[in-house]
Amino acid sequence: MQGGSTGIGYGLKYQARCIADVKADTDHTSFITGTLSLKEENEVHLIRLSSSGTELVCEGLFSHPNEIWDLASCPFDQRIFSTVFSSGESHGAAIWQIPELYGELNSPQLEKIASLDAHKSKPKCILWWPTGKHDKLVSIDEQNLYLWSLDTSKKAAQVLSQESSGILHYLSGGAWDPHDVNVVASTCKSSIQFWDLRTMKKTNSIEHGHFRSLDYDSKKKHMLVTAEDESGIHIWDLRKPKVPVVDLPGHAHWTWAVRCNPEYEGLIASAGTDSTVNLWFASPSRDDLSESFTESPLKRVDPLLNSYSDYEDSVYGLAWSFREPSLFASLSYDGRVVVESIKPYLTRK
Amino acid sequence: MEGDEAPLDDKAKRMRDLLSSFYAIDSSSSHSTATLNHHALPFNASARYATLDTINTASFDADRYMNLLVQKSNLDALLQRHFEMAAEIKNLDTDLQMLVYENYNKFISATESIKRMKGNIVGMEANMEQLLEKILCVQSRSDGVNTSLHGKRDHIEKMHRTRNLLRKVQFIYDLPTRLGKCIKAEAYADAVRLYTGAMPIFKAYGDSSFKDCKRASEQEVSVIIKTLQRKVLADSESVQARAEAVMLLNQLNFPVDNLKDKVLKKLEQVLGDMNLESGEVAQLLDNFDESSKKEIVPELSPENSQTVSTREFVEAARAYKVIFPDSREQLIRLMKDLIMKHFEVTQRHIDQQISSTDLLEMLRSIWNNVLVMDEILPEAAFPELSLKGARVAVEHFVTISFSRLLLNITDPLTKLQRRQEGLGEEYSFQGVLEASKKSVIQDSMSVLLDFRQLLEENLGLLLNLNKLIIEWVHRGFQDLFKKLDDQFRSLSGLNTLAGGVTEGSQSEKVLPGIVLVMSELSIFIEQIAIPRITEEMAVSFSESGARGYNSGPVFVSEEICHTFHSASEKFLHLYIKMRMKKISAILRKRFTAPNWLKHKEPREVHMFVDILLQELKVIGNNVKQILPQGPHVKHRHTDSNGSGSSSLSNSFNNDKLSKFNMHRTRNQLLETHLINLFKQKLKIFTKVEHTQESVYSTIVKLCLKSLHELVRLQTFNRSGFQQIQLDMQFLRSMLKETAEDEAAVNFLLDEVIVAAGTRCLDPILLDSPVLDKLIQTKLAKNSEEIQVSP
Repeated sequence: MQGGSTGIGYGLKYQARCIADVKADTDHTSFITGTLSLKEENEVHLIRLSSSGTELVCEGLFSHPNEIWDLASCPFDQRIFSTVFSSGESHGAAIWQIPELYGELNSPQLEKIASLDAHKSKPKCILWWPTGKHDKLVSIDEQNLYLWSLDTSKKAAQVLSQESSGILHYLSGGAWDPHDVNVVASTCKSSIQFWDLRTMKKTNSIEHGHFRSLDYDSKKKHMLVTAEDESGIHIWDLRKPKVPVVDLPGHAHWTWAVRCNPEYEGLIASAGTDSTVNLWFASPSRDDLSESFTESPLKRVDPLLNSYSDYEDSVYGLAWSFREPSLFASLSYDGRVVVESIKPYLTRK
Repeated sequence: MEGDEAPLDDKAKRMRDLLSSFYAIDSSSSHSTATLNHHALPFNASARYATLDTINTASFDADRYMNLLVQKSNLDALLQRHFEMAAEIKNLDTDLQMLVYENYNKFISATESIKRMKGNIVGMEANMEQLLEKILCVQSRSDGVNTSLHGKRDHIEKMHRTRNLLRKVQFIYDLPTRLGKCIKAEAYADAVRLYTGAMPIFKAYGDSSFKDCKRASEQEVSVIIKTLQRKVLADSESVQARAEAVMLLNQLNFPVDNLKDKVLKKLEQVLGDMNLESGEVAQLLDNFDESSKKEIVPELSPENSQTVSTREFVEAARAYKVIFPDSREQLIRLMKDLIMKHFEVTQRHIDQQISSTDLLEMLRSIWNNVLVMDEILPEAAFPELSLKGARVAVEHFVTISFSRLLLNITDPLTKLQRRQEGLGEEYSFQGVLEASKKSVIQDSMSVLLDFRQLLEENLGLLLNLNKLIIEWVHRGFQDLFKKLDDQFRSLSGLNTLAGGVTEGSQSEKVLPGIVLVMSELSIFIEQIAIPRITEEMAVSFSESGARGYNSGPVFVSEEICHTFHSASEKFLHLYIKMRMKKISAILRKRFTAPNWLKHKEPREVHMFVDILLQELKVIGNNVKQILPQGPHVKHRHTDSNGSGSSSLSNSFNNDKLSKFNMHRTRNQLLETHLINLFKQKLKIFTKVEHTQESVYSTIVKLCLKSLHELVRLQTFNRSGFQQIQLDMQFLRSMLKETAEDEAAVNFLLDEVIVAAGTRCLDPILLDSPVLDKLIQTKLAKNSEEIQVSP
């Protein structure tokens, strides 16, 4: 389809699932990504978009002891990031620091700041405090939610509190509410649970299909975007959690990841196992339209702005650049990073 | 010669002019001509004319004239002028003389006649005196005669008066007997005339001289009144007779009002009875109609008997109108009631489903009655009333027809939906689909036919309604399809997404098959029903002129088509989604539950494969029942470039698999990269079409893709990997027969195994003999089960 040639590519050596925007790097547009190889030595790549904006340059290549299932960049220090990893039966989560002067070393080693090793079951993801410098971290494993206090200078992390999700609730991921820092949402088998971090209690939940991914709309309060295996993408107004506000068709197969654009309201990127990345525009006024559009299907605008389909494998990793909100990086399973610009579609909305 | 004559004529003319000017008071005309000539003088060479004319004018100055003449003329001319003048004067003298003579003659004759008149008048006076004398004599004689006859004449006059009185007395005495005679002869009119004639006398002397007579005649009159009353109330009497009776009663000063009330009450009662009756009759005849629909009994159509009673009523009303001319308002009220009741009955019939012919028949009979009524009471504006009624009735009919149509279409679906709890999934979707399809086309056609009949009917009641009917029909279809869409939505649980119930709870209630049926039905509506309806409407319901009549919704086929097109797609996707949800749940359970790192050696094909195949079989059944078969192309590839890749990818994947065996995993990823580079990208996710094969293979592909993704999330030991391999191989053998897109299916199955291999710490494939053996045992077991189960 269209748009295939517009992206800037970068190849990883192995299969990979996760990519994250380095939010703290204000000088460059950078992404960090980690590989997922069972048998080989895994790597963490720090990728930077060249100043001309035409190619992706490897800024740092570090070996990582295990295959990386989740990766998140620290919002206040560009050299710090977190990973969730496993090898065979063992698994863990850790905070890493990229060594200084790494450019001069040949094969620099990552420095482990802290190991989040209080997990009793398989860790799923680590969430950083949404904005600014803060010592709080949230980690989610299959059964529990942990609130950590991280001291980067002392290189230590402590569990502040934890809470079990309850029996038969297998947590799989989560997101920290950027509008209300006391709230964390977690996906579990067929529901989204909302936690109040002060009390570590479940405050609310949305029961729906099988959730894969979720993201808060950083521009609009109470708005949450979720991706589900079969039902595509839903946008929820958390004040009315019974029914989604907007229902987007999603992907031909599962929708794996959804991300809201940090700058342009209503812009959503989604990555799917049908080897495409879709760019959606769910206009804010669609709340009102959602009722009337059934009556006049002719007037309905296609919310799909573009479908990037130049991928060879399922796309699991997706990240908007915080520095340049018109860019996003996608990572397909075959280890290919593609940075695309959405500028051609911005005018359309 | 001519020259001589012309002056002569001229001369005579001048004479006449002169004379006339002499007698005439006003000489302006001659003067004007003179001045004209005078002015023309300098231009005219002939001085003769000028001088002559100047003489004739009033302002003639002799000296100047003479001077002018002397100055301008020579001697000859002056001489000639002199002669001419002398001759002229002579002439004038003779003329004058002649005129005087003539006048004198006339005067003499006048005096003579006066003299004669005087002589004649002298004898007349004596004659006149004679005449006067004679007249006086005649007068005195006639006076004499008059006085001599005066006494006798008075006597005669007195006698005559007495005689008249006697005759009257005689009449009064005879009155009772006469009245009796009249009663016997039924000449009530005469009787009443006689009685009313006698009335003043009875009034004056009834208490004294004619007491007996009065009593007797009053008795007779009361008999008459009774008879008349009876006559008025008796329906058997002719209308004229009854009207006459009422008139007579009126003349007898008998209070007619309560009689009228009685009669009208009776009429009212008749009305009430009749409507009950008509309802019954209609019902009875409905039954009759059903039982003997085939027989043509135009004489006994349901409305006929009803009409009879109505006719009777109308006739009665007409009679009463004649009988009681002042009962108009009551009659109007009654008739209005009657019309309303008629429409009520019609309404009831419409509710009970009638064809347009029946409706027309009813309306026609109403209209006929109304026309008759209108004839009787034209001021009551019955036609307007009935037009209103007809409008309501027809609108009701249209609405009812459409709601019935909607019901017919959705009925099989809702029934199925309701019945599913007991019956499970094995139900004839095909029947439902066919039934709904049939009702969409046939019923809407028949409805249109009905409406067309309404349109074509030349009934006065409906003439003005044509535009409205067209509009109603348009609106009806628009609403129908909108409602149908809504119903589909609510049946599918789609609208609950915006409605209030979460989808999770809905999906269990909605039968996926129904969704598929609706999808197919939507296509049918879009592609066949709507064009046909549009065509049909264009023929007889073209809304030229109807537009703008009322800016209500109009039937827009494109819009409806669009709606149903998207609806069909939506339902198809919903179907796949619903099916996939269930399958995904099965698969997820399979992959998340066990610890794949501690998997035991595979002994048989895992149970989930059976469950999966079971699901697929159900889907296959659904699909076969509901969807049409696509163009039969085995090994179909979506894009032409995939034509050779089935064998290619097979061999590649076989290669890949063998590579695992050879423990050459080191550069495995690189190789996959390379393979992906060179291989034509096999498109797995193609657009779903409304065919059995497309839907089924889409589901199979989605299913395998889900498997693929789930496998990628796990880490396997060797046995786990082998288990996956075994399961996939078995699936391959099972799916080979059913799936359309074999290349894609094979590719995906291989992908699953490859993915499992990638996620395996120790990927060693099962030896093919072991694999075959395990598959064979499973197949054998399956066939056994199949044999046992039936």
